Amino acid sequence: MIKYLGKRLARSLVTLCIIIVIVFSLLRMMPIEGYFQNFDKLTEAQIQAGIENMGLDKPLYEQLFVFFKNLLKGDFGISRTYRANVPIVTIIKDKIPVSMKFGIMSIGISMLFGLPLGILMARSKHGFWDKIGTGFIVFVEAVPAAVYFLFIQVFGTEWFHLKMLYSAEDKRTWILPIISMAIGNMAYYAMWLRRYMVDESNKDYVKLAKAKGQTPNGIMVHHVFRNAFVPMVQYIPNSILNTMIGSIYIESLYSIPGMGGLLVNVVQKQDNAMVQALVIIFASVGILGLMIGDILMCLIDPRISLIKKGGGR
Amino acid sequence: MSAEPILTVNNLNVKFNLRGKVLHAIRDISLTVYEGESLAIVGESGSGKSVFTKTFMGLLDANGYIESGDIIYKGTNLAKIKKEKEFIKIRGKEIAMVLQDPMTSLNPLKTIGSQIAEAIKMHQGLKGDALKAATIEILKDVGITEPERRYKQYPHEFSGGMRQRVVIAIAVACRPKILICDEPTTALDVTIQAQILKLLKDLKKKFDLTTIYITHDLGVVANVADRIAVMYAGDIVEIGKSEEIFYDPKHPYTWALLSSLPQLGIKGEDLYSIKGTPPNLFQPIKGDAFAPRNPLALKIDFIKRPPYFSVSGTHKARTWLLDERAPRVEPPEHIKMLKAQGGSYNG
Repeated sequence: MIKYLGKRLARSLVTLCIIIVIVFSLLRMMPIEGYFQNFDKLTEAQIQAGIENMGLDKPLYEQLFVFFKNLLKGDFGISRTYRANVPIVTIIKDKIPVSMKFGIMSIGISMLFGLPLGILMARSKHGFWDKIGTGFIVFVEAVPAAVYFLFIQVFGTEWFHLKMLYSAEDKRTWILPIISMAIGNMAYYAMWLRRYMVDESNKDYVKLAKAKGQTPNGIMVHHVFRNAFVPMVQYIPNSILNTMIGSIYIESLYSIPGMGGLLVNVVQKQDNAMVQALVIIFASVGILGLMIGDILMCLIDPRISLIKKGGGR
Repeated sequence: MSAEPILTVNNLNVKFNLRGKVLHAIRDISLTVYEGESLAIVGESGSGKSVFTKTFMGLLDANGYIESGDIIYKGTNLAKIKKEKEFIKIRGKEIAMVLQDPMTSLNPLKTIGSQIAEAIKMHQGLKGDALKAATIEILKDVGITEPERRYKQYPHEFSGGMRQRVVIAIAVACRPKILICDEPTTALDVTIQAQILKLLKDLKKKFDLTTIYITHDLGVVANVADRIAVMYAGDIVEIGKSEEIFYDPKHPYTWALLSSLPQLGIKGEDLYSIKGTPPNLFQPIKGDAFAPRNPLALKIDFIKRPPYFSVSGTHKARTWLLDERAPRVEPPEHIKMLKAQGGSYNG
């Protein structure tokens, strides 16, 4: 197991390094305006001096080497246009907890409602709840997220008299953004859990469980749900990615001072160093999610064996 | 063999709703199963043998239903039970079942031990160490070596034959009175088949089981059955003691079935096969269901369904050939060879 973890971690690191190289190289192609606060007012000589100062005139591999070295020290570089000459780490330090809080809460909520919805749908296959649930899933999957995000914001604030914008103190303003972020995953969980539960309940071992006298509820709990949940684990990374994608839009919609809103902001301001740092952070979270999914899968499915067995059969 | 009936089926009719049509799967079957006997139900695929035994445990698919008839077990009419809850008292504890495919009938994500323990816990109420001890005991009973180690393993660590032993362990763990074995060896390798049949025979003796085998393998039947019921198109066409069916069959369908035994084939010639296809059970059947495929069919076979004619106290068949007005028809010559070969027909 430890050997596998080590290997898996090493592979994730390689992936991350490749992403960093690509992102870094692409951003070097961006216009150099992105490195100066007031580019228009600067003279040619000042710009030249600034570029030399930042080391941007050096060959790409050399810049990359310096960037990696700094990264190992936890230094993402310095913001230029978003907040001039402030280290990026200082800027995002306060924003990461906000985004994490929203991300975790929304995933929690989507599991809390999505999984029971999936169970309900599987148990009433082709019945009332199944139809309601299918309608919900089709709606969420078919309608562009941006449309219902706006819908939730506009009508949610109107009907429930909630404030349009986020405030850290007023917890009621958290409700709509969390629901918006959770809704996609909720449909996602419900859809896949229903599918796996229906699959499992048609299997022979369910017939045997029935034949040995297990109650319908016992079969659902001990056999069908448990087995259907195993393949669900592989959707955890995806749902983390979904949440992040959602957060980019939702955070700016509600002015939440998190990472997602920040990304939109720095892209608009062409702050190359910031874009680079944020994309790398988002990529790492995605890679981490995938890795957690793989590891959980091994832990809960006994058929996946990571160690070569000495004895066996 | 004691002659106490343990399960009595009277005029059972089972139907299925399929795509707006009604399929008459079991057509008016009556059967008595005696305590301690070993009964084999044989017939080709689709003859209704599985469906018939599933009604004993309320395991019909959702679109199937018992239209009429009784299934009397210990004074309870199983055919009239509507609620799942009441069947749960019967399933496992009174009547247990061994399914055909051991590769898929175990939950792949639970240990062997926990799957057997689940049954013991439900029916004997044991817990903790006593439960584990009982589970290991059952594993020993079904011939699994190193049960303590095997207890903690998962189905994928077991071979097909071993898994079937586990499925059997689950069935007998409930201490049932009747054990239904639905094609217990079909999915297994020939060398394993004999071992599993021997195990079933040993367990029958040890736990005083009444066993019902469902199979299309006459080799299996010859090995284990005291009595044989031959099913065709949702009906029992002939029933009798094992030797009566093998050595003195009366129904043309039984003749055809026995003629299909590869052991009776002559080297160099094609094996015998029954011409035609079984009747469409969506349509009402007139006369003898086998008549269209029967070269010996009489006129009346197409008009009126034959009643049972008794051959002996234990042997009866549904064919007009046994009517005293019918012409004397001898069974095919090669069937008599079975008698001459005397039991060497084991598959």
